[in-house]
This record gives sequence, structure tokens and C-alpha cells, in this order.
Amino acid sequence: MTAAHRFGGWPRSGDGPTSDFVPQGSQFYGLYARELIKTFRNPLVLLITFVQPFMWLAFFGSSFSAVPVAQLDALLKAPPGTPYLDFLLPGVLATSMLTIGMFGSMSTIQDKRFGFMKRVLLTPTGRSTVYLSKALGSATRGMVQIPVMLAAALVFGVRIHGDPLMWAGWLFGLILLGFGFSAFFLAVTASSTDWQTPGVISNFITMPLMFASGALFPAQNYPAWMQAIARVNPVSFSALLGRGVVVNGTANWLYLGYLGVFAALMVGVGTLVASRYLKVE
Amino acid sequence: MPDDAIVARGLTKVYGKLTAVDHVDMNVRRGGIFGLLGPNGAGKTTIIKLLTGLSDPTEGEASVAGFDIRRQPMHVKRRIGWVAAEVILDDDLSGWENLWLQAKLQRLTDWKARAEELLRYFDLSDRKGDRVGTYSTGMRKKMEIALALLHQPEVVFMDEPTIGLDPNVRRMLWKLITGVNREFGVTVLLTSHYIEEADALCDHVAIIDRGRFVAAGTPAELKARIRNDFLDFETAADVSEAQLRSLPGVVEAHPQGKGWILKVGSAEETLPHLFAAFPNGAIQRVNIEKPSLESVFIDITGKRIDQAGADVQDFRKFYLNVRRARQ
Repeated sequence: MTAAHRFGGWPRSGDGPTSDFVPQGSQFYGLYARELIKTFRNPLVLLITFVQPFMWLAFFGSSFSAVPVAQLDALLKAPPGTPYLDFLLPGVLATSMLTIGMFGSMSTIQDKRFGFMKRVLLTPTGRSTVYLSKALGSATRGMVQIPVMLAAALVFGVRIHGDPLMWAGWLFGLILLGFGFSAFFLAVTASSTDWQTPGVISNFITMPLMFASGALFPAQNYPAWMQAIARVNPVSFSALLGRGVVVNGTANWLYLGYLGVFAALMVGVGTLVASRYLKVE
Repeated sequence: MPDDAIVARGLTKVYGKLTAVDHVDMNVRRGGIFGLLGPNGAGKTTIIKLLTGLSDPTEGEASVAGFDIRRQPMHVKRRIGWVAAEVILDDDLSGWENLWLQAKLQRLTDWKARAEELLRYFDLSDRKGDRVGTYSTGMRKKMEIALALLHQPEVVFMDEPTIGLDPNVRRMLWKLITGVNREFGVTVLLTSHYIEEADALCDHVAIIDRGRFVAAGTPAELKARIRNDFLDFETAADVSEAQLRSLPGVVEAHPQGKGWILKVGSAEETLPHLFAAFPNGAIQRVNIEKPSLESVFIDITGKRIDQAGADVQDFRKFYLNVRRARQ
């Protein structure tokens, strides 16, 4: 047998199909469904997901309950008589989106270490498909908190303003925020195989982004440098959009636009990063 | 349609200073079982990574199922199955859900009948609804092979398919692998550092050491090359190569570990002289190697297969043990 004959069936450049494209819809659906199944089969994960927002409202929300109304009004720069809980609810929902990417990147690292990533990447599944399914999966897991938190807020006596369109806009903004942050997280940890990385990164970004935002307190009270961060912090966009709806019954749609840009940017850049740097093991 | 399921020319992979795979040429014919036999760290797993598109070759080219591994890795991946050394399944999902996910990843629409058939073949039908975390080792391995076959691949790669398994499960797997090869008509490329496994399963074997193919052929052809026996013994006594070579029938002598490997004309002829040359009790262990794939390896490399890789840290095995301990 000659070498030419042996190589006869090889697709060479210039002859035969040169495209290596394989559609990714089915693979994305399978991987995303796997994320959801794994989340909802783990009772502990669900319990913590449900309980955490409750604790925020219960503990942090109650910490100003003995402050005289006039002082609180001055501090919050909100309409007179606004309870801190009403002020806080949109902020807590926004900050809870900061950490949800951590779960996605932890499960990605687990997949790498147990070889599951290899199993997936030995099928016609692109690295960017794996990345997007993880990002959307962890964002979805984070979304579970929203209805729980809203129910909790009602239990704690938060009064609701605004119309259904505003509410839908606010919730959509939260989804964009969560998707953006989980995309960011997964891109940063794409090449990591160390269990500790997601936790370290989570601590590193959560603290500054939580406080240098309008989520917990009005940014007007901050020094100039923190206000500068708060102005471009997507957590602020979501908190301010939600606060407008909950406290005043108004919606500044510009914030929703910013959140859209943030999510698109994170997902776009993240997909590029992951398609190059997502490690197999 | 090429005649060969796998073709490689000058396939090379360099990691930093380490040449893991060094200009490997290979042809694996369709429908065969081809074995890569070699010690740990010889480059067997790297060859699989290159051929399956998990890792890019530094040099050289290869095709699998007629597709170029560099230019069309996705098309290669649609036509291959993979069985890992350590069983890799999603333990939180049931057997059926693992099959479902594999079907999604391979973009199959009409897979359920095939999945049921595979479950029946592997005797897993009545456990398909249980989480695979509750399966026994043998069942998990079978489940993994079922996943590898679901999309009717042309080539299945099996990386050390029986590593760490007890002898009963190993024998059951050998039967399954030959059965799968015959009944499902797939080409199998497997790696192993078990001589008897390569001998029992493979119709072609390539012996690999330090990233190079040092011999290739059918097991019978390889064994026919060897006209010598090997004596492998341990001793605490001080002895030189020249002394050993002066014994009747000794062709070569290589030190190994606490002893020596002697290439001899006939073990029966040399043994009495060997014992006579040492004081009583100075020889602690003697192993006679008649012509076998092991003796082929010794003949070419001067080492036993299980010794050759002993200096390489085997992280994979380490993780395997960690996982076992967790379960």
C-alpha cells in the first residue's frame, strides 16, 4: 500500500469540506438542563439559596429599626417616612447577584477535576457552548432567590409601588446583572482548576462592589472616590432602578440599558476568553 | 473511504522540555483492536489526547475516521467514542439521564431504541432509573462503554480500560470489549500497561517507550521475533556484568532494581549455572520470562514494563485513588 493511497481519504485544504462547524443548540440545551437538574436535586443548595435572602432582610434590614424617623430620612435621602427595608430590598437583590457566578465556576472546576469536562469536550461541543451553559445555569440558580426574596419582603411589610411593566423591567435588569456577573466569574476562572479560586475571587470583588454602590446606602453620603466607583458599578444600576420602582413608583429606564450593555459586554468578552482558555483538566 | 480508521504520520507532542510523543507513525485498520502497550508515562494517553482532538500536536498529522484531527476536530468527535481510565459519569444523574445527556452532546434525535438496546446488552436495563453514583464499579464501567457507543462511533478510544479493577471485572470487560468490537463493528484503540491484556484483546500491538514506537505488529509476530528467554532475579550479593555474561547461555545482562535481567538462550539451561554461581540463599527471587510481549519489551528496552515507568509520578492514579477513597 502506498502512502498516497493511505492518505487518499484525507480532506486536504482546497478539497472536500473544509468547514468544521457543528451546530451547538442541542449540546447547549443538554448542558444547561444538567445544571438545573443538579441544582434542584441538591436540597442543601436550595435551602441555602432560599434562606440567605431572608437572613439579609431579617438581620440587616432590622438594624436601623430603632433609629428615629427624621434621622433615617436624612440618611437615606428618600421620601419622608420610607422604612429602611423598602430602601434595602432592591439593593439586597442586586448584591445577591454578585456571588451567583461563584457556584457556576465551582461546578466548572469540579467538572475539570473529575474529568467530566473531558467527556463533554470529546463530543462535538465547543468550549464556548460549555461556558455559556454554565453562565446561564448559575444565573438561573441565582434567579431562584428573587421570588423568595420578594415574598420575604412582603412578609416583612415592604410596601410596593410602581406598575407591572416597571416590575418586569426591574426583574429583567436583575437577570441581566446576574448573567453578566456569572459570565464574568466563569471567564476569570476559565483556566483555573483550583477549588480555592472562585471563593477568593468572590471575596475580592464582592466587598468593594457591594459597598461602592447605591445598594445598601445612598451613594450621596460617600466620599468622591467611592462615588466614582458607584457611578459605573452595575450593582448601583440595578439597585437604583429597583429603588425607583419600590420606593417612588418610578423607573429610570436608562439603568436597564446600562445593565444590558454590561451583560452583553461580559458575555461577549467571556465567550471569547473561554473559547481560548477554558481548560480541559 | 480510507482503509484505515486511524492514520498518523510523524505525530509529535512536546510539553516544555519533555517530548511526550516523538514522531509516531501508525495505521489502525478498520474493525480491529489496536493496543498501545507501554509503561506509565510512555505517552499512551497523550497519543489518545492528540487523536481525539483534546490536545494539538506540536508536529505531524493524523486522521481519525477519515477526518483530519487538526482541521476538522469536530467531525472527528462526531465519529469517536471514549472510555476513560477512571470512570467518568455524572453521579447525580441516573443512567438514563447520562445517556440522554450524551445524546444531546452528540446531537442525536433518534437514540432511545439504541440506548435501550445498549442497556440490554450491558445488562443495565433494570437499573437505568437509578443514580449512577449507586452503581458498582463494573456497572459504572459498562455504563461508560454504553455512552461511548450510543452515537454509533467508528472508533472507540479506551484509555487503560481495566486499570485498578479486580480480576473478575477485568475478565468480564475483556469479554465485553471483544464482543463490542465484533457485534457493533467498531474499531477499538486501547492503551494498557498490562501485557496479558494486550495479548488477550489486541490483533495489533504497538510497544511504546518514552514517546516512541519501539515495535509494532500482531502479538504473534512480535513474539516470534524473540528467540530468547529472560531471567529476572533479585540478589543482595555483589556481582558484575562480566561475571554474569560468562555464565553459559547468557547473551546480555542488565541491572534492574535490586537485581538483574539476563537474556539467555534457554532458561532451563542457564538456571542451574546461575544458582551455582551464587552462595546459597543469595538469590531471593527468580522470574522466568518465556517469549511474550513482556520479553519483547525487555528485549528492546532492557527493562520490564512495570519497572520502566516507576520513576514517573502518576497523578492520574493518585486522583483515582482519592476518588475511590471518597466513595
